[in-house]
Amino acid sequence: MRELLLAANLRARGFLASVSDVSARGLLKSFSSVAIFGGVAVGVFLLSRGTTEYLLEEARIGPFLYHRFLSMLLYVFFITVNVGNMIVCYATLYRSDEVRFLMTLPIAHEKIFLLKFVDNFFYSSSTLTLLGMAWLFGYGSFYHMPWQFYLFTALAVLIPFMLIAGLAAVTTLMVLIRVAMRVGVRWLLALVVGAYAVAVYAYFRITNPVQMVQNVMQHYPNVNEYFGYLDAPFVRFLPNHWVSEFLYWSVLDDGVRAFPYLFMLLIALATLVLIAWLMARRLYYDSWVSAADALAGRTERWQGRGVRFLEFGREPWLPGRADVFVRRDVWMFLREPSQWLHLGMMIILLAVFVISVSSLEMKTGQPLLQAVTFIVVFLFNGFLVASITLRFVFPAISLEGDAFWAVRSAPVSLSRLYWGKFAASFGVVVFISELLAVLSIGLIRDNATLLMLSAVCSASIALALTSLNLGAGAAFAVYREKNPIRIASTQGASLTFLLSMVYLAFVVGVLVIPLHTYFERLLKGEPAQGTWILVPMAVILVGSLSVFALSTRIGLRAIQRDA
Amino acid sequence: MIELRRVVKKFGTFVAVDGIDLHIPRGQLYGFLGPNGAGKTTTIRMLTGLYRPTSGSCLVNGFDVQRDPLDAKRAIGYVPDQPYLYEKLTGREFLYFIGGLFRMPSPLVRAKIDEFVQVFELERFIDKRAEEYSQGMRQRIVLSAAFLHDPQVLIIDEPLVGLDPRSARLVKDTLKARTAGGLTVFMSTHLLEIVEELCDRIGIVKDGRLIYEEIRNGAAGFRGQLEARFLELTR
Repeated sequence: MRELLLAANLRARGFLASVSDVSARGLLKSFSSVAIFGGVAVGVFLLSRGTTEYLLEEARIGPFLYHRFLSMLLYVFFITVNVGNMIVCYATLYRSDEVRFLMTLPIAHEKIFLLKFVDNFFYSSSTLTLLGMAWLFGYGSFYHMPWQFYLFTALAVLIPFMLIAGLAAVTTLMVLIRVAMRVGVRWLLALVVGAYAVAVYAYFRITNPVQMVQNVMQHYPNVNEYFGYLDAPFVRFLPNHWVSEFLYWSVLDDGVRAFPYLFMLLIALATLVLIAWLMARRLYYDSWVSAADALAGRTERWQGRGVRFLEFGREPWLPGRADVFVRRDVWMFLREPSQWLHLGMMIILLAVFVISVSSLEMKTGQPLLQAVTFIVVFLFNGFLVASITLRFVFPAISLEGDAFWAVRSAPVSLSRLYWGKFAASFGVVVFISELLAVLSIGLIRDNATLLMLSAVCSASIALALTSLNLGAGAAFAVYREKNPIRIASTQGASLTFLLSMVYLAFVVGVLVIPLHTYFERLLKGEPAQGTWILVPMAVILVGSLSVFALSTRIGLRAIQRDA
Repeated sequence: MIELRRVVKKFGTFVAVDGIDLHIPRGQLYGFLGPNGAGKTTTIRMLTGLYRPTSGSCLVNGFDVQRDPLDAKRAIGYVPDQPYLYEKLTGREFLYFIGGLFRMPSPLVRAKIDEFVQVFELERFIDKRAEEYSQGMRQRIVLSAAFLHDPQVLIIDEPLVGLDPRSARLVKDTLKARTAGGLTVFMSTHLLEIVEELCDRIGIVKDGRLIYEEIRNGAAGFRGQLEARFLELTR
C-alpha cells in the first residue's frame, strides 16, 4: 500500500502546484473555470429545482412517479458514466506511459490497476459528479432537506453509484481486451456497441414509462401513494432503482425503508471492488500485454481495402498541400479505432433521435407548448452538434501532435492550415446540422417558415460551434496527448463545451418569445408578420458571427505560438 | 547561408539565448556545442521557425525566418532532437506527406524514397506504422525526410541519437558527401568525436552565449584536445 500512497502523494503535489500557479494566464484560466463551472452548476441546480417544483406542484404527478422518472434519468446517468469510464480507461490503463513505467517496477499489477482506476474515474467523471451534485442540491432544496442529507447522499450514495458504473466499465474492458485477441477487435467493438444499444432499448421497453404514467394516473388524485407493485421485477436489481428508492424514502423521512437500498448499493460496491481486485490480479497484466502486442502490430491489421484511392503517392485530387493533409488526416482517422467507433456511435445516436422526434405531435392547441417542443427539439439538435464539434473539432489542432514540427518547419502557412481545418470541419458540421434541422423540424412540423428559421439558425450554430471548438482547441492544445478522447475531456475542452452551452442558451433565449407569438397567431388564424422571424434570425446571425470572429482570432494567434 | 543577428530568446525572465551573432557560409558544416540547457535546441528552434526570437533575427538563404518564413523554410531540411512521427502513418506515407508539404511531384518523391530505402536501409520497416518503430528507425526516417527535397541548409539536432554504429556511419558519410556538394549544415551535438571528424567550424555556447569559436585547420583538425577545452570552457 506504500506505493499507492506515494503515487497519491505525487498526484496531490502536482495538483497543488497547478492550482497555485499565480501567473496571469494561470489565474485567468482558474477564474474562467470557476466562473463557467459555477455557472453551469447553478444552472443545473435551478433546472433541477424548477423541474421538481413543476412536476410535483403544477403537473401533480406525485412523488412515486417523479422518482420513477428520476430512476430513468439515473439509468442514463449510469450508462454515461459507464461508457465514459470505459472509453477513457483504455487510454489510462493500457496506453499510458506511466503504466509502462510502473510495470517495470516491483509493484503488484492489481495495485497499478487500482491507482489508474482512481485516476481514470476522476478524469472521466469529475464533470458528471459536479452535475450530479448540483442536481442533488436542487432536488433536496425543494424538500427543504438539512445539510447532513446532501453530505451523506453525496458521499454514501452518489459517489458509490458512480463508482459502481466505473468499476463495471473497467472490469468489463479487461475481459474484452483478452477476448478481443481471440475474436478480433472489430467484431468485439461492434458487439459492445450493440450490447449498449440493446441495454438502453430493453430498459425503456420493459419499464415502459407511458404505461407506468397511465397506471399511476388511474389513481388520480391519490398519486401520493407508493405504487411499488407496478415496477418491473428486474428493475429492482438495478443500482439506479436503489438510489431513487433511497431518495424517495429519505425525503419522506422514512429512514427504515430507505436503509435497505443504501445497504444494497454499498454491498454491490464492495462486491464489485473485490471482483475488480481479484480480476486485476489474474487478468490486468495479461490484458495489458495483449493491448501492447496489438499496438506493436502483432495482430492482424486492416490494410485499407476499399479506400485505396486515398493512398499516398497516387494522383492528387485536391490542389496544393491540401491533398497530403487530407490523406494524412483520413488515414490517421481510419487507423484510430476510438475515432471511427465514436463517430459510429454518434451516427446511431443521431438516427435514434431523428426517429424519436418523428413520432412527436406538435399540433396541440397550446402555443407555449408548441414553442417549447420546437425549442427542445432545436436545442437537442444544438446539443448534438456541440457534442460532435467537441469530440471531433476541438482535438483537430492537438492531433497535429508531437510530429507538428514536420509541418511547422516546412514551407507551410499555419494560418492556411488553420483555415483548411476550419473549412473541412465546417463543411461536415453544417451538413449534419442542416440534416438534423430538416429531418427533425421538417418531420414534426410541415411549415416552410419554421423550416427556414431552423435552417438559418442551424447554419449559424454550425458556424459558431465549429469556430469556437477549433479556436479553443488551438488555445488549449495538448500536443503531447495522442488520444483524441482524452483531448476532448481536458479542462479546456470542458470549458469549451460549457461555453457552447452558454451560446445555445443565448440562441434559445432569442427564439422563445418570437416563437410563442408565432404559434399564438397561427392558432388564432392571424397572419404572422415577417419581422418576427427576421429579427431573431439577424440577432442569432450577428451573435454567431461574433463568436466566429473572436474564436478564429484566438485560434490563429494560438497556432502561431512557440511550439 | 545561415545568419544569426543578435538573437535573444527569453522565456519569462529566463534568458535562454543571449545575443548570439553568427554567420555560416555555404558548404560549411558547423558544430554547435554546449552543455545541457545551454540554448542549443532553442537556437535551432528559432532557426527553423518553431520559436519566435524575443529580439534579433535569423536568416536562412538570405530570408528572415520570421518575416519570410516560407522562403526560408523551402531551403531548410530539419532533423529535430526527438524524431516524432505520425504514429498511425507508415514511414513511406510520412515521406510522401513531407514531399507534399514541399510540393514535390509524386514521381520524384517515389524516386527519392527508393533512393533512401537503399541509402538508409529502410526496406525492413518503411511500410510499417511508426508506432512500431524503434528510436533508430524513426531517426532514419526523419533523416530521409530532411534530405527529401534536396535542401540547401540542413539543421540537425543530435544527429546520431539512437543510431547503431552502422547507421551512424551512414549518416556521417552522407553529411560529408552532401557538404562537399555545397550543403550547409548546422549541427548541434554532444558527441565531440563527431565534431572532430566532420565539422569545418565549431562554436561553444554556454548560458545562451556563444563563448568560443574555432575553424578547422585543414587535415590538422582542431587545436589540441577538444574535450579538455570544452570541459574547461563550460565549467
